[in-house]
Amino acid sequence: MSVTIRHPALPPGVQQEWRGETYHGRPVTKASSFDWKVSFYIVTLGIAGAAQVIAALARTQHGGAGLARRARLLALGGSIVGPLVLIRHLKTPRRWYNMLRILRPTSPMSLGSWLLAGFGGLSGLTALGAVFGRRSRLARRVADAAQGPAAVAGAGMGIYTAGLLASTSSPVWAAAPAPLAAQFGAASMAGAASALALAQRAAGETASARRLETLAMLATGVELLASRATERAWAAKGLERSITSGAPAVLNTLGGKAVGVALPIAAHGIGRAAGGRAGALLPELASLAVILGGAAMRHAVLLAGNDSACRPEHVFRTTQAARPGGVRR
Amino acid sequence: MDGGLVGPAPGGQEAELTAGTRIEPGRSYGFFTDTTLCIGCKACEVACKEWNNLPADNLGLTGHSYDNTGRLGAHTWRHVTFLETGTRATEMPPYQSNWLMMSDVCKHCDPAPCLEACPTGALFRTEFDTVVVQQDICNGCGYCVPACPFGVVELAPEDGKAHKCTLCYDRLKGGLEPACAKACPTDSIQFGVVEELVERAEARVGTLREQGQADAYLYGTPGAPGATGGLRRLNAFFLLTDRPERYNLPPAPSRPARNARPAFLSGLATMAGLALAAVAIGVGRR
Ligand code: SF4
Ligand code: SF4
Repeated sequence: MSVTIRHPALPPGVQQEWRGETYHGRPVTKASSFDWKVSFYIVTLGIAGAAQVIAALARTQHGGAGLARRARLLALGGSIVGPLVLIRHLKTPRRWYNMLRILRPTSPMSLGSWLLAGFGGLSGLTALGAVFGRRSRLARRVADAAQGPAAVAGAGMGIYTAGLLASTSSPVWAAAPAPLAAQFGAASMAGAASALALAQRAAGETASARRLETLAMLATGVELLASRATERAWAAKGLERSITSGAPAVLNTLGGKAVGVALPIAAHGIGRAAGGRAGALLPELASLAVILGGAAMRHAVLLAGNDSACRPEHVFRTTQAARPGGVRR
Repeated sequence: MDGGLVGPAPGGQEAELTAGTRIEPGRSYGFFTDTTLCIGCKACEVACKEWNNLPADNLGLTGHSYDNTGRLGAHTWRHVTFLETGTRATEMPPYQSNWLMMSDVCKHCDPAPCLEACPTGALFRTEFDTVVVQQDICNGCGYCVPACPFGVVELAPEDGKAHKCTLCYDRLKGGLEPACAKACPTDSIQFGVVEELVERAEARVGTLREQGQADAYLYGTPGAPGATGGLRRLNAFFLLTDRPERYNLPPAPSRPARNARPAFLSGLATMAGLALAAVAIGVGRR
């Protein structure tokens, strides 16, 4: 979804068309300091968030207690590890708590900080049910009361990071907010379903694992479709260089597409066709690939955004005024 | 504050003497940077570094005309751009050579994308309608850096905080004109109340056009290039005579915060759709 930018024409004395001029080829915008720690957080909290959605569903189903318990624990683990790594990314980490000093509705990072705080607390409450639920009715009640809000907060955790990247002036991040968020959300769901499928297989709940694997494949399909839309938007705006060269290209193609999509489809396909013992460990391999591929895809997007911020031609291409009847490029 | 003037300023504020304006909380202050008057002396850069006690940076040569400063950043809050235009006009009005020179600075945007992004409230709008980073609050999250459409604010590796032009917040509080504007020998940098500066700038464009300079225009005033995409105006605005790109300015920037809504809506719809799919698949059943 591109926003049409109206702006008054330049005076007649000035060259009307931009012909690719830059200021000595120097960057216009500045790249973020976001590195692998931010990508790790995006992936971890995406999985934790979507796990709470799955936990909520499992709580409504007969026989879903084991899955719900594992999903709740996964959510708690993610909401502890993720922020600890993220805080290391701050350049003044001892002031991390200033994130909760104000609420800034225009800042996805501010909204996300509060969302994370709520999600972490709710995940702690649902984990009470996972740990003490069998012995204590109170723990079970508290956990179930927290489950609904935890799932809603979890859905937010799975996607808000895309909104955070999109709300910047880095061309690749800002180019396609809606498809990017769909991509991140689907990857979060695929990652959580895969992580829980691994847990269910380890616990011997094979039928439940299979359903989760089906969900993971569906989510991976959605992710692929959304990534097509994102990549089309990048190409239409002339930003593809950032994702088709260097580390982002390797991460996106080899990691995101080959490992994250092709490998799991193949492994699950062969595994299911062979059935039973012949496919031993293939489902596990597929689930692992989905998680790693989703991580590679997010890190590719992160690095590509940093790269595009340093390319003046990308900034100028995406900040040309809409010309009446003309195409913006 | 003793701004360097010998004896008290008549009227009480030095700014009245040097900039012809009183500095009072509650009004909007900014810069009008008229590039047709810039002679590239970099007095603004030096004055800024001296007053704000900013460390030196980039001591190397860039090879980009006379611009060895290179960029705005954590330690550089004024940056004079130099572009030597390929063709030298034979008939040139006497007020400038055929160089494009512009003293770049934080635009103190309204609304300000850096401020809208800042999760800690370190970036805030002052009583002078300027945008300042509170150093005792910033935690170095770095979100303001990619948020800025103009590549102005930056984290300093030395202290892990974001830094940028404060429009001399301390000087304004003391009734002093900002250091760069005071030092500018040609008045290419003019300080004042934004509304008054805009009037002055529009008159200047009129004069230049009368003199035959058909390419003069304002960048950053309401309705002009630069004040686009949800940016109402730039409190530090410019008079340019060529395409914005040649001064390293985006021709039609936009407010990045408006991308959040479509992202959140589409993301939540995706999550809801996948949750429904999970129900249909029977996730949770034994
Ligand atoms: S120019 Fe950049 S740093 Fe300055 S107020 Fe605007 S967004 Fe903030
Ligand atoms: S780096 Fe500092 S000023 Fe910039 S957004 Fe983060 S807390 Fe705010």
